[in-house]
Amino acid sequence: MNYFEKMRGSGPSPPGVGAGEVFWSWLGSFLGISAVALLHAGLFEPRDLSLLIGSFGASAVLLYGAVRSPLAQPRNLMGGHVLSALIGVTAHQLLGSTPWLAAAVAVSLAIAIMHLTRTLHPPGGATALIAVIGGDSVHQLGYLYVLVPAALGALVMLVIALLVNNIPKTRKYPEFWF
Amino acid sequence: MHDGHRTMNTDNDCTATLLSDADVIAAMREIPGYLDISPADFREVFQVAYVHALKRVRDSIRAADIMTRPAHCVGSDLDLIQAATLLAERGFSGAPVTDAAGRVVGVVSEKDFLAGMGVDRPIGFMDIIAHCLNHRGCMAVSLRNRKVSDIMTAPPLTAGVEATLGEISALFVDRHINRLPIVDAEGRPLGIVTRTNLVQSYCFTGQGVQS
Repeated sequence: MNYFEKMRGSGPSPPGVGAGEVFWSWLGSFLGISAVALLHAGLFEPRDLSLLIGSFGASAVLLYGAVRSPLAQPRNLMGGHVLSALIGVTAHQLLGSTPWLAAAVAVSLAIAIMHLTRTLHPPGGATALIAVIGGDSVHQLGYLYVLVPAALGALVMLVIALLVNNIPKTRKYPEFWF
Repeated sequence: MHDGHRTMNTDNDCTATLLSDADVIAAMREIPGYLDISPADFREVFQVAYVHALKRVRDSIRAADIMTRPAHCVGSDLDLIQAATLLAERGFSGAPVTDAAGRVVGVVSEKDFLAGMGVDRPIGFMDIIAHCLNHRGCMAVSLRNRKVSDIMTAPPLTAGVEATLGEISALFVDRHINRLPIVDAEGRPLGIVTRTNLVQSYCFTGQGVQS
């Protein structure tokens, strides 16, 4: 297949899911984001901390909407956020004076490291990017950003995923832990 | 391939026709939950995995699992009339040939009888009928007073009990044989793998082999 032929795509698209699947995806993500957002508002915001970052919206898609995906498993969720946060903070601290470069390095390196450690979790790319473009409130956290919000927020989402995704007969979570 | 009549596909060709996109999509519909894989990717995974599975099965099934035992053999000194009678009685189209010490020294089959009758091209039963009707005599007369050792194929192709299904299948295809004597270290017959055994072995799954 030559270069341009590849761009046409080959093969059919996968089928959609049933109403039950839609319901459990909705319920899980509602509860998962609720838990993180409530903790954020009640415990963290008053202390000038943050538990709620944009990348958790993306994690919710995987954790509650694509439960079986390798990308949604605990190893990937936790590893992806923690490693990406680490890379994001480091990229900002070393290259923050050139924001475009810091942003590009943070995301690209996060993807490479997640691949190498078998922790690929797409929202990790956002976690790395937010460490660079998240503004002063994020920058002031320094490496605390790795633990709060990245690790702790992901952990809360993981707990909700374990509780909700194992209720319906048609779902089980996780496929693997590590 | 040197054999134009070969009908078996290679593994990849075989599996490509086994699974269609529609099959995969139907399965994805039946399995509840969102499967994070495209049908094309799944087919690719399946195809490669299937080749591995075939190899695993072919390597795990051995001659000892599929051979007929004991192997009915004919002695190399046996008169051809007696040998033909023996094979006919048992309904065999061929048999391993053993020497006085009981070692397999050759294989004798319909092909060898035909060659012994001076037929050098592949012929069938109808050719013989036609010849007999046209010539007022049987072609096989030339086989009188000859021994098995005169016409047998020697040295024989043999294999040990540890030979895998894959190795045996390859021998059948590459060497155009229909039966393979299975022998011990001294060359004494333990059994025989025939085409029938090979076909039956394809019904084997994991549980069939241990018994």
